[in-house]
Amino acid sequence: MTEKKKKLSKVFDYLQYDDPYAGGLTFCAGCPLESLARFVPQVLGDDIVITGTPSCSAPVLLGQNIGTWHRMPYYGTLMTGAAANATGLARMYKRKGIKNTVVCFNGDGTASDIGFGNLSGAAERNEPFIYICYDNEGYMNTGIQRSSTTPAGARTTTSPVGRMTHGKDVTSKNLPLLMAMHKVPYAATATMSYLEDLAKKLLKAKEKKEEGFCYLHVFCPCPTGWGVPTDGSLDLCRMAVKTNFFPLWEAENGEIRFTREVNKPKPIGEYTKLIKKFEHLDEQGVARLQKDVDFNHSILMRLSGSCEQGGRHD
Amino acid sequence: MQARSEQDARIMVITGNAAAAYGAMLCRPDVVATYPITPQTEVIEKLFEFAASGELDAEMVPVEGENSAMNVVTAASMAGGRVFTATSSWGLAFMYDAMLAASGTRAPVVMVNVNRETPGIIAVSSGQQDMISTRDSGWIQLVAEDCQEILDQVLMAYRLAEDHDIQVPVMVNYDGFYLSYLAGKVEVPSKKRVSDFLAVLNEQPKRQILLPGQPLGCGTHGILQGFVELRYKHVQAMERAKAAFDAIDQEFASQFGRGYGGQIEEYRTGDADIVLVASGSMCGTIKTVVDRKREQGLPVGLVRLRMYRPFPSEKLTQVLKDRKAVGVVDRSVGFGIQGGPIYSEVCSLSAKFGGASVLSFIDGLANTDVTSDHVEQMLDLLSAAARGEPCPQVTWVCMEE
Amino acid sequence: MAPHTYFQGEGPWSDADQLMLYLDTGSWRSLRPVVDAEACIYCGLCALFCPTQCMINKGEYFLPNLEFCKGCGVCAKECPRGAIIMKPEGECDASKE
Repeated sequence: MTEKKKKLSKVFDYLQYDDPYAGGLTFCAGCPLESLARFVPQVLGDDIVITGTPSCSAPVLLGQNIGTWHRMPYYGTLMTGAAANATGLARMYKRKGIKNTVVCFNGDGTASDIGFGNLSGAAERNEPFIYICYDNEGYMNTGIQRSSTTPAGARTTTSPVGRMTHGKDVTSKNLPLLMAMHKVPYAATATMSYLEDLAKKLLKAKEKKEEGFCYLHVFCPCPTGWGVPTDGSLDLCRMAVKTNFFPLWEAENGEIRFTREVNKPKPIGEYTKLIKKFEHLDEQGVARLQKDVDFNHSILMRLSGSCEQGGRHD
Repeated sequence: MQARSEQDARIMVITGNAAAAYGAMLCRPDVVATYPITPQTEVIEKLFEFAASGELDAEMVPVEGENSAMNVVTAASMAGGRVFTATSSWGLAFMYDAMLAASGTRAPVVMVNVNRETPGIIAVSSGQQDMISTRDSGWIQLVAEDCQEILDQVLMAYRLAEDHDIQVPVMVNYDGFYLSYLAGKVEVPSKKRVSDFLAVLNEQPKRQILLPGQPLGCGTHGILQGFVELRYKHVQAMERAKAAFDAIDQEFASQFGRGYGGQIEEYRTGDADIVLVASGSMCGTIKTVVDRKREQGLPVGLVRLRMYRPFPSEKLTQVLKDRKAVGVVDRSVGFGIQGGPIYSEVCSLSAKFGGASVLSFIDGLANTDVTSDHVEQMLDLLSAAARGEPCPQVTWVCMEE
Repeated sequence: MAPHTYFQGEGPWSDADQLMLYLDTGSWRSLRPVVDAEACIYCGLCALFCPTQCMINKGEYFLPNLEFCKGCGVCAKECPRGAIIMKPEGECDASKE
């Protein structure tokens, strides 16, 4: 056996604050959203006021009667007005001269569907808070229905697979890119397998929120809803990045920069084969998703100026 | 009444919308969320004018829709702010879920709602259907009669909403078009006098607010008896709001020289056999007709509803006792109930106030004016009812045959 | 008539100082992470990736807090040295560690 290297991962250096949550939370076993929920305050600090809406995180963010699952001040509110509520809080703290971090913590249903209007509005007005969207590609808390970030071909209970339908029949909304195109001070993508990248982006958002609106889109697979073993979510996060299905980038005032280059992207089939919600996909279905991935990536390449610097990096 | 100088108040000729905006500005809100909609838009334009001139120092949030307007002010209120927003009709409908959040979290939001017709049939015209449609939102709903009262009710609304014993959001209603764009004489008090009027709020215990570093959260799930407890408390607060509003109105009268009677205003009801129950701008017309009828020796009077929620059941029972005929004028309809919405609530009290015939009049829908002829027609029907003649229970006065 | 009193004030406020909630998520577990302390290189990836954040730093290695560990297996999967195995609860001691 080789000499043991006793050195903690440097990600620990980013965890400067206590985990404000109780030990046993209602998240499913292996849920990376639980990791994210606990990770965010350990990085961002103890000046957070968090807002949450009905979603997988609501049973945890919001208490039950006088009891609560964590020690953060929170405002539990509606999916329709998540960003507007964060706006109200942030403006009031600004007025009082209270320096703190308002975090609007929502799923993709709130961000991309029912609360998209006021998310866009808050971004346009450059409201001073951090919006974190955890993207599990659907309405998981209500039992796995499709949202506008559900990818083409994916099976959900409202995009089922049968004789007549074959999973979601339209492509997904590229929400992080839409948010970056609001030219906000900061917008970025992140995922749970690249924790240092995520931590850096959280800290950058904390810094940039002094200039205004910050958006973080965190890819957060749902083992229960997607049909993945409870220990499988991080493999998905990595593979989503390696296939360019979910590229990691950040944008300051709309200027996009990749934070993790993928030199030889793997075919999307390497990703879809890990997930039950894609198991019905035939070659054509996979090809369609590949086309979508390539298109989304080509837009990012053009916007980031990567094309001019020598074409595709793969 | 205190002696007043120019420093105490300015006399201006302004629209109802401007009066609402002055009212809000004078109360020095911390956060104002705005979204335009006819006939309310002038309120927010005026507030932005005040902000531009420096008369109003507030966080102005020009949101992308009414739903956000209500969410912004509710959350800002949770963070300890005094807040204001304004809306009308479809805008009110669009913020309905957020209104429920505001009242359920007991956020002392103050909003003006410029009454306009709502559902389905697009009508850029007056009507109280919007207010009626939000009846069960858990808000306190006030109704003003003229431009002066709009301003005054906004001031009183803050006293009521932010009262530690109440903590319920308040909606000040006034008729779109008739009052929103009508310019009238308005006494605009000084900021100092308004501060004095509101000062009592500062002496009260502090309500819970969201602050960083404190492990308090708002919007927790109400589970079983926890939910029941909060609902019960809310309902009790609504009940307390009745007497509180009467008291605030009296105090207002002593400080500003204008009193309105609290939950209801009684106009020549003393010996009246026949009483109309109405609300809003139509009451000006009704008062004129009541005067005329009185000159003719007919004992008629008016009860003006200034508070729609909580419903002034006790006051109405008292004032309608032993009349011969009572007519209720609704500027809205009740779908699937007999007669107008306010009528049906007055009827629910009739067992308590005695044997009078109670008739429903639907009038003034979609800017069909409540004319003095209409009011005469109502009083004629009520006179017939008082004589014991058979009369239709519901009359659509605004519908021409 | 008076309601049961949970809340001090008028609105739906919770207070962590008064009551912190937690679930007995340890009872969900059918597989238990068993750490080979000798093989552990103390990188802490198990602790970082553990969704319930229940891997306890023992100075030279990490051990799961079995009170809350849901048995998802992320720690075992992510361990770069294979120092954690998931063992069926039925084959484990009833004791917590």
